[in-house]
This record gives sequence, C-alpha cells and structure tokens, in this order.
Amino acid sequence: MPITVENLTHTYQQGSPFQATAIRDISLTIRDGEALALIGHTGSGKSTLAQHLNALLTPTSGRVLLDGRDINNREVSKRAVRFEVGLVFQYPEHQLFEETVARDIGFGPRNMGLSEAEVDARVRAAMDMVGLSYETMKDKSPFELSGGQMRRVALAGVLAMRPRILVLDEPTAGLDPRARDYLLGDIARLHSDGTTVVMISHSMDDVARLATRVAVLEQGRLVMEGAPNDVFMQVDRLGAMGLDVPAASRLVHGLRARGIDLPDCCLLDELADLLEKLLKGGTGHAS
Amino acid sequence: MAAPHIQLDHVTYRYSPEAPPAVRDFTLHIARGEFVALLGHNGSGKSTVAKLINGLYQPSEGTVLLSGMDTADAQYTWDIRRRAGMVFQNPDNQIVGTRVEDDVAFGMENIGVPADEMPGRIAQALAAVNMTAFADRAPHLLSGGQKQRVAIAGILAMQPEALILDEATAMLDPSGRRDVLETVRHLNEEQGITVVWITHFMEEAVPAGRVVVMHGGELAMDGTPREVFSQVDRIRSYRLDVPPMTRLAADLAGRGIGINPNVLSIDDMLEEVVRLAHHC
Repeated sequence: MPITVENLTHTYQQGSPFQATAIRDISLTIRDGEALALIGHTGSGKSTLAQHLNALLTPTSGRVLLDGRDINNREVSKRAVRFEVGLVFQYPEHQLFEETVARDIGFGPRNMGLSEAEVDARVRAAMDMVGLSYETMKDKSPFELSGGQMRRVALAGVLAMRPRILVLDEPTAGLDPRARDYLLGDIARLHSDGTTVVMISHSMDDVARLATRVAVLEQGRLVMEGAPNDVFMQVDRLGAMGLDVPAASRLVHGLRARGIDLPDCCLLDELADLLEKLLKGGTGHAS
Repeated sequence: MAAPHIQLDHVTYRYSPEAPPAVRDFTLHIARGEFVALLGHNGSGKSTVAKLINGLYQPSEGTVLLSGMDTADAQYTWDIRRRAGMVFQNPDNQIVGTRVEDDVAFGMENIGVPADEMPGRIAQALAAVNMTAFADRAPHLLSGGQKQRVAIAGILAMQPEALILDEATAMLDPSGRRDVLETVRHLNEEQGITVVWITHFMEEAVPAGRVVVMHGGELAMDGTPREVFSQVDRIRSYRLDVPPMTRLAADLAGRGIGINPNVLSIDDMLEEVVRLAHHC
C-alpha cells in the first residue's frame, strides 16, 4: 500500500499578501515497509509535506495517492485515510489531555467506534509496543510522567489506531539520551514488524540508525534522494544547505581528505569495524 | 581567592512539602567567567537548579548566592534576576514584542532603564548576537535560532553577569544550534559573562571548560569534559551518553587498538587515526 506523491505544490494563504509556497512540484513514492527519512533546513517544507500524507493539508496542485486512490477525492473518506496513515506531531505530549494514560491512548480507537473490549485490547498492545507497562501505568495521569514517558504515551495513542504507515515529525526532539534510545528502539521494532515509517529529523545520527532511504528538501523542493550511505557521504553538498551529516560520515570524509580511504559509512558501529580492519590489517598482528 | 560568582551550598528543593526533593543537598560553586555545561537526564534536577540560581525558586534548605547576594532575601530579587538572565527552551514563549527592537527593549523597560540609554544598549546587544540587520523585523518571522539570539539580546541589554540557558537549543535545527552556541561562547570569551549551559546534546558540552552531571537531584560528576566523558560506563549509568567520537574511541580501545581514549571531537579522532595508521 504505497503512497505516491505526484507533482505536489502547497501554497499557504494563497491570494493574500502573506502567500508563501512551502513545497513545489514534489514527486515521491513511499514504498511499503521502507523507513524514509525527510531531512532539510528549518522551513524547507518537511512538515508541510508530511501533513499531506494523511490529508491534513490539501494540495494547492498535484495529488497524493494511497493505494492508487487520490486521498483528496471526495469519494475517499479522510477519516479512513487517517486511520491508515498515523501522524505523530512534534512534541506530541502537548496534546495529551485525558485523566489517565489508558483513556488517552484509547481516545483514537474509541473514536473509530470500536467496542470497549477492543479498545482495551488495543491500548494494551500499543503500550506494549512502546515499552510501557499496562498494569503500572494505565491509571496514572499522563501529566505525572517523565518527558520520555509522555512522548511514548502520545506515540501509543497513534499506534492504537493500528496505522499501516506511521509519519513522525521530530520524534526524539528534546528527549535525554536514554529516552531517545528507547524511542528509536520502539520505532525500529515497529518498522521491522512491517510498519512503513516516514520520519522527519534534524538528528542525522538518528536518521542513519533508522532510515532505509533519505530524501533531502531544500526551499520546498526535493533535491536529493537515496540510501543513507550515498546521501550522507555528500558532506560538502549537505553542508552548503546548512545540514549536518552523521558523525561517522564526517569522520570518513575527513580521513579521505587526509589520504586514508574508507568505504562509505554513516553508522558508528560499522565504522568501528572498518577502522579495526584498517588499523590492525597493516601490522599483521593484533594491537 | 575570589568568592564564587554563583554559589549553591547544601541546597535541597521540594516542589511541595510531601514531594520527594527535586534537588538534594546540592553544592556547586561557579567562578566568574566560567562556562559550565550542566548535564542530566529528564527529571534529574537541572532545570530546578537553573531556576534556583536566579531566584525564580528559593531553596527549601541550604543557600544560593549570586555575587554574594542571597536569593532568599527579597530585597535582592530584582537585582539577581537582572544579573543572571535565563533563556528557555521554546523560543516562541519568550517573544513579546512586535519588532525585534521592541522585544530586546522589553526587559530593560521592566527594570527601569532610562529611555535615552535604550537605543545604544539595543544596538550593542543586537550586534553581540549578530542580529543587527533584523532590528525592525517581526520576531515571529525569524527562524528558531534567530529567535533565541533575540531572546539572548534582550538579556544582554540588561547587562547581566551570568547567562543561564536551559536547553536553549533543544527545539532548533543543527545550524540554529551552532549559531546559538557560538554566540554564547563568544559572549563568555569576549565579555567574561559566566555561562551555565544546560543541554541533552553531549557534543555541546565538549567546548565547555567544565562539565557538571546531575542524577536524581544530586551532583554526580564534576570535571573537565575529558575527565567526565572518559568515564563512559559511569556516564551511561546516569542515563546519559558520551560524545560520538568518545564512544567510538572506547569501542576501538576495547578491540585492542592503542587509541587515546580521551578523544572528544572529530578533529581529535582524525589525528588519532592518522597517527595510528602511520604506525602500521
């Protein structure tokens, strides 16, 4: 069930003096089961693009197809599209509002008209997916949790609707390193269980860890697209756009400039293997 | 020996009498002109310490002094807040003016700076954060990093002695983060302003002169970046991490490669790998 974006353009406040085109003529297919990262400078159009994927925004021109059907066609239920494509906003914990964790996570499924038994089953499953204990957490107020836990409750609220495609806008922003690790682990697990993931992030190390493909936006246009290793080794080109690369790619790039050639690499664990081979290989004996 | 600029002695703070302390028997002395990175997981007490320093909170037990003034003494409250300016995480919650200049003037108006002094101070403050060209722009149209620099300018215009930044880069993109950190480093080096920099980005602690780690409301570690980050397992036990290049060096050392484990930055690592490669 791929999403196909065709020649998508979006202009905010069209016809007013504040008219601003956020994305221009973007064409992109999101394939089943992939983990696509959208990267780009602030204001490059990432969030605008993401909000078209579940029909939260309507294209100024162009189309968004889910399973071959235009999601903005009047015949297509936007409600149904939003159950299929779950969108997790930036700082989603700001949208928690219920009295208990279980009620907050159950809000979406309850809205879908499911029975209380099914809602409960989904709440349990969603909490399990993000590593929150149902028994100890279900009756707590969402507002007495830590920042990392609140973020996971918000994610569980979207997962409880069982979306097949999960769109996450800056999922780890503001979290401490441990909470960040947990959340990335949750997303990686969902992806390996078959959920298609689209993730917006400024953290290139997170992108390197999770993404199977990277798309780069600049001033509303799609300017690069490819495997993480290919995209991130273009350190100078990304730098010119004001973008970072993962620490591993930066190191490989720097070593090449000093005459030490290593293969493309964007993950620190892989780079450790490459460096071990380089530094042990030449001597013929260990250490 | 000069008295510490910021001095917390055996400070305990509870949000309510029944609640467990958010900060517990915390002692920290910061000299004038230091750049201290304060690290800790969410809920470790960092933000509470920030608010104790400029008197937004008063300690439940212990004392907090800024330039020798006790934050619990009401006669110093306004003086302390002027001298120790705070920048918070969300730039949108800190912008009040409709033009950048008005926004920078807001704090000065509150502390009663004479009107004829304001234009000069505004110009200086905007120049210090490299935002002069934006003086008559609308703040809501700026990027996050630019908004944070305007927030810093608003504080600078009050001629503070210390800046406390509580995750001021958390909501910014990489270039915005770099700009804000560079701006603050510059103010520290050029103007001698004491800086307390709270962050979840370990690499932002690398340029600091001193790194302080909090855990469970207590002081857990205190040293130079190299001293603190070389203790990889200990840092991780506090739910934090070390900068990526330090992690890589530890990994390689564990594989029997004779690498210097004190690597902090990409440049350190480049040098080490080049050195080791020439040996083999």
